Amino acid sequence: MHEFSIALEIIDTLQKNGYLDGVKSVSEVKLNLGKYSGIDKNYLVFAFQNLNDKRFKDVLLNFISNNGDEITIQEILVN
Amino acid sequence: MLNSNNRRAGRSLLIQRNALETNEVIADKNKALFGKAFVMNFLSSPGSGKTSLLESIVPILKSDGFKIAVIEGDVETDLDKKRIDELNVPAYQIITNGTCHLDAKMVSAALNNLDIKDADIIFIENVGNLVCPTSFNLGEDMKVVVLSITEGDDKPLKYPAAFYKSKVMLINKIDLLPVLDSDVAKIKENALSINKDLAIFETSCKNNLNSGEIKQDRLNDFVSFIKDNVNLKASKIKK
Repeated sequence: MHEFSIALEIIDTLQKNGYLDGVKSVSEVKLNLGKYSGIDKNYLVFAFQNLNDKRFKDVLLNFISNNGDEITIQEILVN
Repeated sequence: MLNSNNRRAGRSLLIQRNALETNEVIADKNKALFGKAFVMNFLSSPGSGKTSLLESIVPILKSDGFKIAVIEGDVETDLDKKRIDELNVPAYQIITNGTCHLDAKMVSAALNNLDIKDADIIFIENVGNLVCPTSFNLGEDMKVVVLSITEGDDKPLKYPAAFYKSKVMLINKIDLLPVLDSDVAKIKENALSINKDLAIFETSCKNNLNSGEIKQDRLNDFVSFIKDNVNLKASKIKK
């Protein structure tokens, strides 16, 4: 269940780069997910649903698969 | 762009950043702190023999004049560190308290408590788990995946990330081959189908007589590989 750590890393990356400044909620996160990333999509969704962060309470995760090993945040929808 | 059919309401922000960027920043700092030391991050399922391998190769490398430090990772207990302490090399135990992997931050904290300034080689033994540790860069020079022949030849296909991200695969406990149906050729074939560049070594920490004596010829090729990489890194840094 390292997907909880991954979810926290994603939020940390967004936070530290100022993308969450003034944001009340994030409705959607689009991720580029490599097949060798070692990350399970369903567990990552579960992790976001169970994080204690109200901004991500109703977030929808949208995945694009690729053949590599990286996980990249492509786009977010914020309110 | 997000699929317009499923698109929710909101303001779109294009990000295009590594999702693990914060871990990467700390991993880069770790790499700088490692300095000239060649760092290997050992991944495997529990019980594959990571600690036994370290117990076997550290004395060989020490006797050849290499200075070594070890970072141990476990969910609970410092049992592995106690085993490494017997080798008289600096060691630090990270206890994750339930977390299934090491991340760069944990290793960074460990470096505050471990003397690595003269180290030529640093071994990091990750938490026993073939999935979770693969996602996190610790600042190492290479990942080494250890697969014991008791685990089955299909493991590279079932847990591909560990084999894709590693530069080396050790097929361990090779001394048990006479009493198992393991197919070493199949293990190699499966692993190379995931990562064609994997360097593969067959290793064992015991001989077939189960006397506990280390049969060094089953480790020599891997030890030589480590020495070559230590020297390669040192020469790159000098340049």
